[in-house]
Amino acid sequence: MARMNGMTRRSAGGALLGAVALAMLGGGAALAQDTVTLGAVLPLSGASATIGEDQRRGIELAVEKVNADGGVLGRKLAVAVEDSGGRAQSAIDAARKLVSVSKTPVVIGEYSSGNTIPVGQYLQREGIVHINPGSSSPVIKTIGDRSFSTIGLDDVAGKFTAQAVYGMGHRKAVFLAPNNAYGQGVYSETKAAFEALGGQVVANLLYTEGQSNYRRELQRIAAAKPDVIIYSGYGQEAATINREAFELGLSKTPWFGIYLSMCTADSRPETVEGQMGMEVNYVGPDGAWYRDAYKKKFGKEFATTFSGYTYDAVMMAAAAINKAGSAEPAKIREALAALGDYAGATGPIAFDAQGQRKTQPYIVVSYKGGELKTAAK
Amino acid sequence: MLEFCLHVLIMSAIFGIAAVSLNLQAGTGGLLNFGQIALFGIGAYAVAILTRAGLPWPAALPAGMAAAALGGFAIGRLGRDLAAEYWALATLAVAELVRLVALNEDWLTGGPQGIGGIVGLFPGLDGVARALATLALAALLLLGTALMARRLGQTQFGRVLRLMRENPDLATALGHDIVACKVKVLAIGGAMAGLAGGLYTLYLAFIGPDQLLPFETFLIWTMVVLGGLGNVAGAVVGAMLVTTLYAGIPFLKDAVALPSDLTGSLRVFAIGSIVLAVLMLKPQGLVPERLRRLHAQRP
Repeated sequence: MARMNGMTRRSAGGALLGAVALAMLGGGAALAQDTVTLGAVLPLSGASATIGEDQRRGIELAVEKVNADGGVLGRKLAVAVEDSGGRAQSAIDAARKLVSVSKTPVVIGEYSSGNTIPVGQYLQREGIVHINPGSSSPVIKTIGDRSFSTIGLDDVAGKFTAQAVYGMGHRKAVFLAPNNAYGQGVYSETKAAFEALGGQVVANLLYTEGQSNYRRELQRIAAAKPDVIIYSGYGQEAATINREAFELGLSKTPWFGIYLSMCTADSRPETVEGQMGMEVNYVGPDGAWYRDAYKKKFGKEFATTFSGYTYDAVMMAAAAINKAGSAEPAKIREALAALGDYAGATGPIAFDAQGQRKTQPYIVVSYKGGELKTAAK
Repeated sequence: MLEFCLHVLIMSAIFGIAAVSLNLQAGTGGLLNFGQIALFGIGAYAVAILTRAGLPWPAALPAGMAAAALGGFAIGRLGRDLAAEYWALATLAVAELVRLVALNEDWLTGGPQGIGGIVGLFPGLDGVARALATLALAALLLLGTALMARRLGQTQFGRVLRLMRENPDLATALGHDIVACKVKVLAIGGAMAGLAGGLYTLYLAFIGPDQLLPFETFLIWTMVVLGGLGNVAGAVVGAMLVTTLYAGIPFLKDAVALPSDLTGSLRVFAIGSIVLAVLMLKPQGLVPERLRRLHAQRP
């Protein structure tokens, strides 16, 4: 009897493995001939899931738009979206799946710089076109000639932040950001620009992500008595920081969030009321239609500012494919580099010699009554 | 598709080595090492730094193993007076220390950006040929590691390790030097984990501090526990199962044509429920440890 039981159990384990193996085989055959499929690696689960979902919505809108306008090369456009879980290893696995199984000529991704860099390096090695729609680390410039960004990198963002904060009359700042590829990049760029203007960064607190509380960092900020707290954090983490700062009474000091919608996406409204910040614009000067399209499709306002960048990434890839007359990665790369000025939902996009977005229309925003409002200049 | 399957097999072999290492420490020796990823990481970073400096991988890999063995030795010495549970917590802290050093010492480790663009294995080959050569190497090293771990388990040293696991006081009473055993098994396990880490870096051509998060340690633990704690074959089976699950779950979504907004949740849900199901059906793991029967237990 015991042996019988053991056998059934063993075969149960085998069946599980078998099911996965079968699904893997089936997945490869699911591609149709009349579709051009691009790939995307996004953080659909994990700490940045709110943003990943918004990035996915941008892709969904772009695919609908491209197909409504006749598709690419007379075929339908599709984007295979894979979850990175916010984890480098899973992001690389997902990119490998897209490249070797789905044979996508273009992969869009990711969001965190620490995941975007290895994914981009892998794609560069494989000769696949990489479009970064959400990371801002300056290291992304060095990935290679197959890599493009539809979002401005930190050197541009840091300068804007420094000018905005300085322009508000703040001179003594503390800096609070995650100790990762993104945080270090934005910190060094902002500090350099702020000190060049004559301001002073009196404390730099790059925090370890994933802590259950940030009181140690916040108490050090309180001790420094700054004019302004310049900060940045991913959704859930920023929510913890904001809640604790609120409890400690630190929210009376002015806060300036870099990518404020990212900082406030998961925070309780009362804890971030009155915060100022810089933002990539949700939409460019002529992008009101994009806000309407988003609202119509998903029945709500933008959750974060990041959906427009994946939208533009898909639109630009589609335009490049049509222009190249081919879905070969090498030809798409040529066409993307030669696309010139592109009127995107997030404003005009032009790539520099390194494939990075040259100018980025940033805005100063404030958080009032549960939503972000554009601050008067 | 072939290339992706090869990728999954290569990752299985690499994590197989890491799992065999943990199994030797935890399964045979009963040492609750929650810092396994530190040993893996030391090997990974050592290989990355050395190859960046121009050393060819056949020289960098043994150096990475040596560095990780030294790391294991240090972890073993560090908590020699701590009781098992306290030592387990200390290993978790050591792993975080290693990650924080990697995160902050930019000049050596590239900081949060990690070290990329490493000249990997077999740069002369391309595509499938390169993947096959990498797989052959990884499988060979896994086989070597597994055979060595099995052999160790059968020696007098292995028996002392199991005694240490079951009853450390009795082992001491019988005149065995527990600390020496602990240090030795951690150094050997460290070398194995360092080998896995080095291969990982060479294969992906990238290593960053995010790959050393505590989550990764528990992933290796999942492999060992699912496969069967104390059994070398179990560790290999567990590593294959978990790696295949992580890489394979996204295909389930393609097969049943779920909308992509469910992808993230489905992955978390599927992996959780499969791991739970295996543990409920086979609490001892898929390939349980087989102990030699004692005369007294014969019917």
